[in-house]
Order: sequence, then C-alpha cells, then structure tokens
Amino acid sequence: MATIGEKLPSLDKEISQRQIDAYSGVRPLSIHTDEAWARAKGFRTCLAQGMMSTAYVSEMMTRLLGAGFVKGGTMSMAFVQPVFAGDRLSVHGVVKERRPERGRTRVVVEVWCENQHGQKTAVGEASGLIA
Amino acid sequence: MVEFRKLTYEALQVGEEFVSDEHLVTPEDVETYAYAVDDHHPWFSEASPFGGPIAHPTLLGNQALRLRHGRYIVHAGLHAKMEFEFLEPIRPGVRVRSRGRVIDKYERRGKPYMVTEFSTADEQGTVLVRGRFTQMLFRD
Repeated sequence: MATIGEKLPSLDKEISQRQIDAYSGVRPLSIHTDEAWARAKGFRTCLAQGMMSTAYVSEMMTRLLGAGFVKGGTMSMAFVQPVFAGDRLSVHGVVKERRPERGRTRVVVEVWCENQHGQKTAVGEASGLIA
Repeated sequence: MVEFRKLTYEALQVGEEFVSDEHLVTPEDVETYAYAVDDHHPWFSEASPFGGPIAHPTLLGNQALRLRHGRYIVHAGLHAKMEFEFLEPIRPGVRVRSRGRVIDKYERRGKPYMVTEFSTADEQGTVLVRGRFTQMLFRD
C-alpha cells in the first residue's frame, strides 16, 4: 500500500454555484457569491474558494490513508489559478516519499488539481500516517 | 462593541492577533460541507474509527480564514496558500474557537500579501487543527 511512485485514483469534481454558495455562505460583495462583484474585480464569474480544493485533496488522502490522515495528516497547497463556478476539476496524487515517524510510516503524496483545460489550479503535498 | 475598519494592507499589522467566536459544530454543518465538496464518506454520518461520526478534516478552515472578519470589513482577497496539520478528529457536538496571528506581510509584483498562523481548539483547549494561510488583498 502506498508505494513510492504509486498514482492515486483521481477524483472528478464539477463545481456548481450552489455548492460554492453552501461552502462560502452567500453574501454581497464577495467574489465567491456575488457575480457582479466578481466581475468588478476582473473575473469572468464567481470563483470557488481555494479551500474547496483542500477538501478534495483531503478526500483523496482519507481514501488512501483513512484514520492516519484524519489524525496526523498534513497538507500544504498553493492556489495557482482561479477555479470558477461551472469548472470541472480532476484531483491527482502520486506517492513520493515514505519515512519512519515514531514507530509508524509517514506517506507523503504530491497532489494537484487540474481544470477542464488541463491547467493546474492548485499544487502541493499532503501526508499521513500508516502503521 | 467592535468598531469595524476596512481591511487594507496598511491597516493590518504584523503581530496582530485574532480570536473567533465559539462555534458549535453541528451535524448540519457536516452535511452542508459534504454537499458543498461532494464528499459523502460514511464516517461523516455513521461510526468512524474514532468512535462516532466525525467531520471533514478541513471543515474548520473557514473559521480560521474568517478571523479577520471579526475586526475588519473584508470585501475581497485571493487565497494564495494554505497549510494544515490535522491533529485530532473534529466531532459534531464540539465547541471550537480559532486563534490567529499575522506573522508576515509583504508585497510581490505590486500585490500585497498577508500570512496568518492559526490554531483551532475545542472547549478543553485541545488543538484540533493548526496551520497557516497566505492571502492576497485587493487594492481599490
């Protein structure tokens, strides 16, 4: 399980405005939930919160490591391209390191999200513990 | 009584500290989050290895991210980076509070950024999640 170089099963996420509304809470003067405001700030429509991509990575890591991600997991992400309402993201991971940690093994995964145009929108790494 | 000011790069000070209000994590919070991120793992509604349902590990990120909203009027910004350490599972029924401190601010390519360290703890003071985030502020 979780050998170096292993590709994790990818996740697909189609992000609706209603989901962004549920995540961010609807309010005026928000680039996430007020389309006119998002346009005034130079975007073509509302943006998903970057944090939503951390949730997708969390889902992928929990599928891989289970309780060892929920308690003992880490994540470091950079949001490099905006994600818009209506975008379709795919979430990817490749195991890049295993190292001993207090009698267990920490599994480090390179993670990223891509939009429907093949552009990376978030990049980083996540880790968790296995026995 | 809080006197809210508009958040600007100039107003924000390195070392400035924030504390959120206490929030009760409800099953509805967990369900709403599951809908928002389309992740319906059975641990979020049934038994988990931690003895009962738990919440998504990232559920409390927004409480930390919104720390500034308790003192400033925050109209827009872009989230540039996020780091998490998930130390303990989040269980529905727990009351949580986030604390944060601005540890850096800088300008890069003419754009202002702020970096905040945070931790989120339960009512016993057990830290559940900690990390740091970097946000770009929009100039008017």
